[in-house]
Amino acid sequence: MQVLLTGATGFLGRRVLRELVDEGCAVRCAVRPGSNIQALRDFVGSRRWSCTETVSVQLSDPEQCRRLVQNCDVVYHVAAALSGSPSNLVMNTVVPTRSLMNAAATERVGRFVLVSSLGVYGSQELPNHSVLDEQCPVDPAGHLRDPYTYSKILQEEVAWDIAREQDLPLVVVRPGVIFGDERGALSHRIGLKLGSLLLSMGGRQQVPFTCVDNCALAVKLAGLRSGVEGQIFNIVDDNLPTGQQVLRNYRKAGHRIRVVRIPQFAINWVARFNERYSESTQQQIPPVLTRYRVQAMWKPLRYSNDRARHLLGWHPSISFDEAFERTLAFGA
Amino acid sequence: MTEKRIKVGLVGCGQIADAHLQQIRRIPWAEPVAVCDLEPLLARQAAERFEIAGLFTSLDQMIEQARPDVVHITTPVESHRPLATQLLDAGIHVYVEKPFTVDVAEARDVLDSALRNNRLVCLGHDQLFDPAWLECCQRIEAGEIGEVQHVESVLGYPLRGPFGTQVIANPDHWVRRLPGGLFQNTLSHPLYRITEFLTDDQPELQATWFSRFKQVPFPTELRAHLRGEKVTGSLLFTSSTKPCHRLTRIYGTEGALEVDLNSQLVRADRVDRYPGAFAKIEAPWRCVRESTRNLARNLSRFWKGELHYFEGMKTTFLKFYEAILEGSDLPVSYEEMIRVTAIMDQLFAECRRGDTERSIEQRRPQHSSTESRSERPGFHWETTGASEQSSSRAI
Repeated sequence: MQVLLTGATGFLGRRVLRELVDEGCAVRCAVRPGSNIQALRDFVGSRRWSCTETVSVQLSDPEQCRRLVQNCDVVYHVAAALSGSPSNLVMNTVVPTRSLMNAAATERVGRFVLVSSLGVYGSQELPNHSVLDEQCPVDPAGHLRDPYTYSKILQEEVAWDIAREQDLPLVVVRPGVIFGDERGALSHRIGLKLGSLLLSMGGRQQVPFTCVDNCALAVKLAGLRSGVEGQIFNIVDDNLPTGQQVLRNYRKAGHRIRVVRIPQFAINWVARFNERYSESTQQQIPPVLTRYRVQAMWKPLRYSNDRARHLLGWHPSISFDEAFERTLAFGA
Repeated sequence: MTEKRIKVGLVGCGQIADAHLQQIRRIPWAEPVAVCDLEPLLARQAAERFEIAGLFTSLDQMIEQARPDVVHITTPVESHRPLATQLLDAGIHVYVEKPFTVDVAEARDVLDSALRNNRLVCLGHDQLFDPAWLECCQRIEAGEIGEVQHVESVLGYPLRGPFGTQVIANPDHWVRRLPGGLFQNTLSHPLYRITEFLTDDQPELQATWFSRFKQVPFPTELRAHLRGEKVTGSLLFTSSTKPCHRLTRIYGTEGALEVDLNSQLVRADRVDRYPGAFAKIEAPWRCVRESTRNLARNLSRFWKGELHYFEGMKTTFLKFYEAILEGSDLPVSYEEMIRVTAIMDQLFAECRRGDTERSIEQRRPQHSSTESRSERPGFHWETTGASEQSSSRAI
């Protein structure tokens, strides 16, 4: 089977590449000009590298995309910008997705797997402690969220439109907080960094982690399992820890983290203060924390991976504790 | 008496458009009515985030339907001239983000069009209205450093930032197509901080550019010296140092002043009043007093909510809008726009001339064995070799 993989040099992408090659796929990796191909080759090893080709490409160019997807059975679109201004994120995430999907539809690719984000949900409307699953609607006001989440919401909207209009079989994977090995577990879902301080937000709510290797397996299955076209899969591991538990684990491992804890009940107050101060000073300090954003980010919820288990046959084989140990070994 | 009001449109919804829209919103009587971009997703994100009703992918439609009084052009510089002349011909005032145009001939076209249509043009030399810069100019005006003799201007560029990364990765990026490459997009900022004092129309120039990074296929460093009749200047554009400075040091016959726009600091360097060892005590004591004054001023501005990165941009907009509505002076004169653009043209020509001379010099001893290999963007395959058992190609 010939597959196309974007984002192969990234944290998740290179593990997806490893999974796909082990599955026996011939993988064409789309990389940006100037990407560090040698690092990717070292990561996957010379045996797997023999089943891999790399293509240097600008994904925003429709014609380059059309040539790229030719003869591919499945496209795995993992590439996305993680930071930058909203316009940069749109240009580097949403526009390339549109080009690539249009090309895939034209070339009659069998399936398009889009790696999105668990952040796209409009979880503000959910009651506290309810279960967030694939039934929850996507945030209808993405522009009120942080730039990264906004770009992922736009990306999905564009993807579903193209899939509908051009009859392209689409599968969307929405991973939670991806961590493991070189990427530690101190994510925004636990708190915000302010200089050397960590503002721990709440701390008693579950953090929707997924170990990068578990996630890569799920992404692979989303492209290979039959009968899952049109489906969305939330990817989170089992037995999710709370933010406080993660911080405790770090302390036990000897890490010194200076934490200021904002209790759950006070998060909204802090957000309200940030909003008002920002408004009264005409954004001398930007409204990073708004009540809308904090509700989406730090609301106490539970997370389900039932659909991925049942339809993809996916099992997160690496536990949080094991993945966490690995990040410590990497010094992350 | 009619209420003061101006309807503002914006064309080009990239990164700098955010700064424009934020600062326009800070002017209570300015109403952003429309945004326009050829890429509908970019136009949409700007319209949604800044709650702007008019969203267009065609400038003609924006002009016809939104009827703005003034339009900000925040597109890549290649499109500044055609967009500006189209808007001016339609009777709309124009604010152009720096750099003004690709070259001085285009700059003249735009200003001719403005004069022909009796409309105004403003260029984004906004750092001239930064509060720290204004304080420095006031102190020079008051005679604190005597007659200005020399100006040093520094700009640090974050090559590994979101924008620089794109310029490196994309061989066809619009910045790389400019005659002045990476520098043309931002060099006007440190340059107009020099030309504020060096007022000659055609100063003598020496300039060179080069790269510090092997993996970056275009020059990333520029050094220039300017010599006018009374004042000289030196310009440092660097992508290899941190932090990314926005510094200017102005030397006068009685002392020097240094402005750090990033930290909003103004520092003075004066002639010692005490002899010998006492001067070594006096100098740091002056630094302490200077720092205390800077701290007090910045605390006061923080308390009042006035510490905005683009404060100078807001003031420039304000002055331009007042020039449109009330006929006051333009914040940046047309002569200054032409002069800075012409000096930039000369700087880049000088750098290219140096490149050509070096290239001839390098080829001379091994003329027969070296052939320059041009790389052009396009679709081609490159196989890494059978021994690697993998293929690599570029589209």
